[in-house]
Parts: sequence; structure tokens; C-alpha cells
Amino acid sequence: MATIARARPRITQRSLVLVRLKNNLGQLGVYFFLILGLSMTLMPFLWMILSSFKTTTEILRTPPTFWPENPTLNNYLTILNDPKLPLARFYGNSLFVAVANVTSTLFTSSLLGFLFAKYQFRGKRLLFGWFLLTMMIPGQITMIPGYLILARVGLLNSLWGLIVFSALDAFGIFMLRQFIESLPNELLDAARIDGASEWQLYWRIVLPQLGPPLATLGILAFMQNWNAYLWPMVVLTKIEHRTLPIILTWYNSQHSTQPNITMAATVMIVIPILIVYFIFQRWIVRGFTMSGLKG
Amino acid sequence: MAVSAQRRTGKRGGLWVSQRRFVLSVTIPMILYGSIGVLTIAWALVLMFFEYSPGRAGGPILGLGGSNPFVGLEHFGNMIDGVSLEARLFRTSLRNTLIFAFVVLPLNLAITLPLAALIESIGSRIKTAFRAIYFLPVITSSVGVAMMWGWLYDPQRGLFNAIIRTLGGTPVAWLSDPRANFLGVSVAMWAVIGAYLWQDFGYNLVIFIAALQGIPKEFKDAALIDGANALQVFTRITIPLLRPTILFVCVMTMLSSFQVFDVIQVMTNGNPNNQTRVLVLDIYENAFRYQRMGWAAATAFVLVLIVMIVTIVQMRVLRTEWEY
Repeated sequence: MATIARARPRITQRSLVLVRLKNNLGQLGVYFFLILGLSMTLMPFLWMILSSFKTTTEILRTPPTFWPENPTLNNYLTILNDPKLPLARFYGNSLFVAVANVTSTLFTSSLLGFLFAKYQFRGKRLLFGWFLLTMMIPGQITMIPGYLILARVGLLNSLWGLIVFSALDAFGIFMLRQFIESLPNELLDAARIDGASEWQLYWRIVLPQLGPPLATLGILAFMQNWNAYLWPMVVLTKIEHRTLPIILTWYNSQHSTQPNITMAATVMIVIPILIVYFIFQRWIVRGFTMSGLKG
Repeated sequence: MAVSAQRRTGKRGGLWVSQRRFVLSVTIPMILYGSIGVLTIAWALVLMFFEYSPGRAGGPILGLGGSNPFVGLEHFGNMIDGVSLEARLFRTSLRNTLIFAFVVLPLNLAITLPLAALIESIGSRIKTAFRAIYFLPVITSSVGVAMMWGWLYDPQRGLFNAIIRTLGGTPVAWLSDPRANFLGVSVAMWAVIGAYLWQDFGYNLVIFIAALQGIPKEFKDAALIDGANALQVFTRITIPLLRPTILFVCVMTMLSSFQVFDVIQVMTNGNPNNQTRVLVLDIYENAFRYQRMGWAAATAFVLVLIVMIVTIVQMRVLRTEWEY
């Protein structure tokens, strides 16, 4: 009896140590893979940033250096002082289109979301289904007629051409309808009894409740507009009206022998959106998970 | 409740009238505006039966007819067995698009599923940090991604060839060698797939992490008590329970990779030898560079058809009876 009682704890202790060792090794393996993945995710960013600080002689060297030997800000100064590249104007173009589209999307989404959530009317389901269906149609099929319409009304080469078709967003309507449905009807009825009109209900009662979903939706729409490439390229062919992504490819083709300069330009276009991302990180990730949209 | 009660009692009351007026004042402008979308879709569906170029005068209705003649199904016949340059380019683009999508999907799942499981298995504070950083490429503009990767792939001064040289291998002309291939797919295609995967994987990763958090822990614990190891828990418990999410992710990944454009247009513009030319690039070039808009509309229609078919097939194949 005594021997067994003495032996048992020893065995348990040893096996415990073994299990803990095994767990620790497993944890180590997990972190190894996670950090490997992390460095592969960050490497292209790092390579871009490092390249943007290299001098022209250094960037053309084979084999390439990893860390810049004489870090310089000249590439950024070249871009900022380039008379053919009024950067402020292009930032302004991108910002104008993004803000206009975000504003109109948020307005129509909240208004229609309110309508579909809180009103009964004939043809409601049909209308809702129709709006959702427009989300399923890929842009490639409407791109050509869209271009022809813009050509007819004289909006090619105008930033308005990027705005006129973008005021309805089926996902936004869908998301805000879900949210507004959860607002109590008593709140609306109380305001009605106090004499508020339906529009006042929308502006004064519903809209102030929509902060978080509007923010999520707004950030997603902003990033989509900011990064858009194909449609702006179709609509805007004159240089001074272009948005940032198209300017970036154009600038790249002008300076293809100076990768240090093109990398600096890329940094300047990629970084603003990364800053927005780090500020609103949680909302953005949540929004993407909900939306099934891709950037 | 309250609204419907009101409806029953006061159908002719002032409240009901003002609500109706509100509904009409919102829906009528929205329907008018939304019908622009219907018009564009209808226009696209008509265009594909014509030989249409906006430069030619054509007939009175939308410029169709006259010098922009009606050709019926000729475009579609050409796509199948035409010998003209655009017909051959269409078939090349179609094949490349299929290769691209069917390579991207399994690779994406092979990266994101295990990675999501690994991230889910660690402490919550570091988990958020990992997730945030892995998500970075998703929100980076695809033009920026293409520029960064084009520079990484640079044959003389790029990072990849520098690594290969240090390891003693021969450098590869990643984006421009038409003869280089790996597993029957050209190296240029692999190169753009690499850039695309890098930009895209964070999206599926985040979705999988969210889904993993929804799986009740008891299921895994029960399996562990029954003597299953971690791998068995992953393949026998986690994956079957994730099937609805996997279905969603498969469909979304397929949809977006069939519509790939930005990364390829910037990195290779379809070269070398049209080995990376994909359907959207083909549509873009035909419509806006060569002004063959009828042909381009027909190609776009084929693309949408394929997207729809693939979606339906995947829904059928991966549909699941599991619920939890």
C-alpha cells in the first residue's frame, strides 16, 4: 500500500511535466507559423518602404541591398515638387468622389432601410427584392452601357461621372433595414402623436440612432471608392481629372526606370488608407465580415 | 404592432395619409433612379446582338442598326469556333480565367483554414493583433499591391530573385518569360496568383475566425475526452461544422477571382504572350481600346453566365444538412 501511494504521485508528476512540455512545444509551433505568416504579410510593405528611401544609384544595384545605405527623402521631395504631378489636386479628386458617394449611399440606405423596416405598402417585397438583385449583377455587364450613357449626357472626363450611378447600395439598404427593425415602434408613434411628420421621424428619431452602422457602412464605402480602379479608368481619360490609383499607374509608366520614386509614390497613396484602417480597425473588420463585400 | 393596429383602425385618418404620402415621396424618386440600372442592364443585353462601335453613326435608336448592324448570335458562334484574333483571344482569356480561379480557390482555403484555426487557438489579446495585421493587404488598394509585387518580382533588382541568388538558384523572369512554367501553368500566372492571394487571404481568414468562434467548445472537448488528437478534432469536428462558412467563402472567392482585373492589368497587362490575359481584361480592351462594344458586351454576358453557373453548382455540391 505504502509503496503504491508513494509511487503514484511521482508518475503523475513526471507525466504532467511531459504533457506541459508537449503543450509548450505545440504552442511554440503555433507561434512559429503565425509569425512566419506575419512576416510574409508585412514583407511587401517593408520592401516598398525601404525601397522608397534608397538613392537612384543604390536602387539600380544588382544584387539589391536590403536596408538603405544612405537613407534619403529625395524621392518624396521629387514627387512633391513635380510640376506635372499636382498631388493635392489628385488627393482632392479622390476625396471628392469618395465623400460624395459615401454621403449619397448613407442617405439612400438609411432612408430606404427606414422605409422597408417600418412601413407597409403594396409591392414592398417586390421593390426590396429588386434592389437586392441589383447587388448580384457584376459591374462588368453594366460598364459598357454606363459609359455610353455618360458619353451621351457629357459626363465623361468628369468626376460626376463616377458619382451619378453610385447612389444606391443594396447591401447598405439591407443592413440598415435589419438595424432599424430593432428600433421600437412606440418611439415613432409617440413622436407622431406629438405632431412630428414622417420626414421629421427620419431626421430627428431614426437617423440619430444609426451612428455605429452608418460609421461601418461609411468606412467600407469610402475605402471601396478610394481604391476603385477599373471604372474610374473608363470614365476619366484626361490627366487632370484622374483619381489616385489611375495617377499611380500613369506615374509608374513615366518613371519605370526609377523604382525608388515609384515606390515612394505608392507609399503616399497606400498610407492614408492604412491610417484610416488603424483608427477604425474593429469596425472595418466587422463590416467586411458582415458584408461579404470585397475591397 | 402599433403601425398595423393603426392601419386597421384609422385607414382614412390623417396619420395614414401622411404615411402614404411619405412612402410615395421616397419610393417614386428611388424607382426612377433605380430604373437607370435596369436600363443599363437591358442595353447591355441588346448590345451583344449587334456589331456596335460608338464611333459609327448607326441608327436612330441608341445608335443601333445602320452601320452598327444586327448580327444575332454571331458573336457567340465566333467565341466557340471563330478563327479571328478576338475569338482566339477570348478563348485564351476564358481558359486563363478558369485556371486562375481554380488555382486560387484551393490555395486560399489551404492557407486560411489552418491559419484561422491556429489564430483561434491562442490568447485573445494577441489574436486581435494578428488578425488586424493579416487583414492589412485586404484594405490596401489593389493598384498599390500590384506595384509592390511588380517590384518584388523585378528580374534584376527584385527581392525574390535576390533570395534565389543567395540560395544559389538561377533567377527567374517572373512576369515576362513566356516559356517558363510550373505544373503546366505559366510562371507569370503563378506570379499574379501569388500577389492576388496575398491581397485576398485576410478576408477569408477573418470570416473563418468569426465562424470558429461560433462553434461550441463542448464539441471539441467531448472529442478530446474520447481520445481524439488535435488534427482529428480539426478534420472531423471543426471542418464539418464549418461547412456553411466554407460554402460561403468558396462562392465569394470564386466570384471575385473570376472578376480579377486590377492586379493583372497593372502587373502584366495580360502578357507575356497573353498568358495572363483574363476575361475582364479582354472585355476592357475590346470595349474601350478597340471600341468593339457589341463583342465586349457578349463576352461580359458569358462571364456573368459562368459566374452564375459556378455559384449554383457550388451551392449544390457543398450544401449541407449540418446545423448547430
